[in-house]
Amino acid sequence: MLRPSLAAMAVLCLSTGLATAQSAWTGGDDLPTNPLACDGTPATPVSVDYDGGEPTNPPDRAGKAITVVDVPKLIGDGYFDATSKGIAEATAELGNMTATTDGPVEANIDDQITVIDNYITKGVDGILFAANDSVAIAPVLKKALEAGINVVGYDANAEPDARQWFVNQAEFNGVAKSLVDALAAEIGGEGAFAIVTSTFTTPNQARWISEMAAYASACHPNLTWLETVEAQEDNILSFNQANTLINKYGDELKGILGMTSIATPAAADAVTQAGQCGGIAVVGLATPNAMKPYVESDCVKSVVLWNPVDLGYAAAQVLRATADGTLKPGDTSVQAGKLGELQVINGSEILLGAPFVFTKDNIADFDF
Amino acid sequence: MTARGFLRHETILALLVLVALFVLDRQSDRFLTVDNLFNQGRLMTEVGLIAIVMTFVIVTGGIDLSVGSILGMTAILIGVFWKNMGLPLPAAIGMGLVVGAFAGFVNGVIITRFKVPPLIATLGTLALYRGIAEGVSEARSVRGYPEWFFVLGQGELWGAPTQLWIFAAVAIVAAVVLAYTTFGRTTYAVGSNEVAARFSGLGVDGAKIAIYSASGLAAAIAAAIFVSRVSTTRSDMGTGIELDAITAVVLGGTSIFGGRGTIIGTLLGLVLIQSLKNGLSLAGVKSDGTVVLIGAVLILTILISNLVHRDATR
Repeated sequence: MLRPSLAAMAVLCLSTGLATAQSAWTGGDDLPTNPLACDGTPATPVSVDYDGGEPTNPPDRAGKAITVVDVPKLIGDGYFDATSKGIAEATAELGNMTATTDGPVEANIDDQITVIDNYITKGVDGILFAANDSVAIAPVLKKALEAGINVVGYDANAEPDARQWFVNQAEFNGVAKSLVDALAAEIGGEGAFAIVTSTFTTPNQARWISEMAAYASACHPNLTWLETVEAQEDNILSFNQANTLINKYGDELKGILGMTSIATPAAADAVTQAGQCGGIAVVGLATPNAMKPYVESDCVKSVVLWNPVDLGYAAAQVLRATADGTLKPGDTSVQAGKLGELQVINGSEILLGAPFVFTKDNIADFDF
Repeated sequence: MTARGFLRHETILALLVLVALFVLDRQSDRFLTVDNLFNQGRLMTEVGLIAIVMTFVIVTGGIDLSVGSILGMTAILIGVFWKNMGLPLPAAIGMGLVVGAFAGFVNGVIITRFKVPPLIATLGTLALYRGIAEGVSEARSVRGYPEWFFVLGQGELWGAPTQLWIFAAVAIVAAVVLAYTTFGRTTYAVGSNEVAARFSGLGVDGAKIAIYSASGLAAAIAAAIFVSRVSTTRSDMGTGIELDAITAVVLGGTSIFGGRGTIIGTLLGLVLIQSLKNGLSLAGVKSDGTVVLIGAVLILTILISNLVHRDATR
């Protein structure tokens, strides 16, 4: 009785995986791509019906002072400190909304649910959240909607019907365009490059790689992709993989694209230590703190991500607009204070805009 | 009631709970409402189930650090058995419970047969079981469970949250077993003096294996309830829950050196922690402050109890 279950467990462990999908570039996924126009003309949004939820019998909050709680994935983290800073900016500007940030001390689904649950009991007018798990958070958010609370997400989405709106910091094709454009600009539109990613099956990275392949083939045909290597989000492995690429391709290698906040600084470190700064461009997704040394030493020119302060700001503005009734299902855009008019995409998401490129001029302003 | 009986740890703790409830009730009018109390019971059930069996483990002088990992592993396997292997959900849950109990049984065997200290043995399986959970899941979650399954974690039965009935049943059975049965007395004997227990002809190893298996089973039941409550399965479920459970047990007066402890004490410990977490949040204290306060209460309670029991052997 006991042995078969052990064997079953072992078989389970071994049989999973191995089915990696192939796309134009290794490490991408099989899903359809949707590259943006080369000159950045915004794509005409495909009209999708509103698929968000609705609060049950909310009181009339138009123009009235409201209290809001912001529940990020965790507190005490530089990234979410930046989003709550943005929320505070928005509330200061609006004047009729108070927001407190409270959340789990670790990015733990259960603790986050408990925090939200307590605020529903306490009674708030609105909830802003960044979900640790899109499905796990759904029941408690639905409970909030049933209690007549306005619910808006940012950074990490929940099931659409469990919240009203979600502020999407960047679309995959937008990030892909920013990365490839930055790379092409730095190596002069022509040359070979390699990619350091986490693993070939990591969903976000795979999506970005597929979108980059589609965008590069359309807009930068003279860029040559060499290979994609896996580095498991591990510092040492990322450094070693980047180092191997430098030694393997020699002068042919003109650029390295880092797909994670671990891989990009490790690649920059490898290029620095090989004395190849200026010869090999490093472009990637990363948080500013990890990249500051390399940006300040001029080894890295552009780091692509989004601006979390703007993200928090937009989320707070969207919540206010929802409570006021100025943002309703079916609307195609929303006024978000200093950010201007933001587009509604995918039914019930609000796009923050093009990704943010950190350069030597602005990176010192960010601390996360 | 004698003076000594009055100064029992459980009595002190019960008074503390009453004080806490009274003070927290002053802070928020939403605290002592039926809805909130039931809701808190719902949130407490998973940790509570684990803490009840953990009481037995700690009374024997042992510890089980692997329960959080068993919870994660069982949750993932329930999902995999159901979705990937196509078993009906009740059968998948049944198999999950078997795996959980077996994982606990393995702990018991490592501890008794190979004489590995429980702290080391379960620290090892904490990593092992979590690793299996992550390997099997490949960082993906299983979702899309049928609606009827959510009754367990989100629904109500006879006017109270469904899982509270399971929790109450387990608590009553455990309290009776520990206080009034031969098995309960064996548990205390093992914790007080294992050598003496052996020479008295008690089945020390058998009792330990049974207790660690039960601990695994409790974690597996908690896993099923957890999956139903949050409607998805992830490999990082239950991370750190072992510490919450141990905190409640120790706060409840169970000696970490074994030989002393009651289920009532553990229940009071659970209630105190949950009321503090919830009540403080309703009173406007943020989560980081709450964590600090719970740590302080734990140390303070143990200090008071130790001062009062200075004469007694520990």
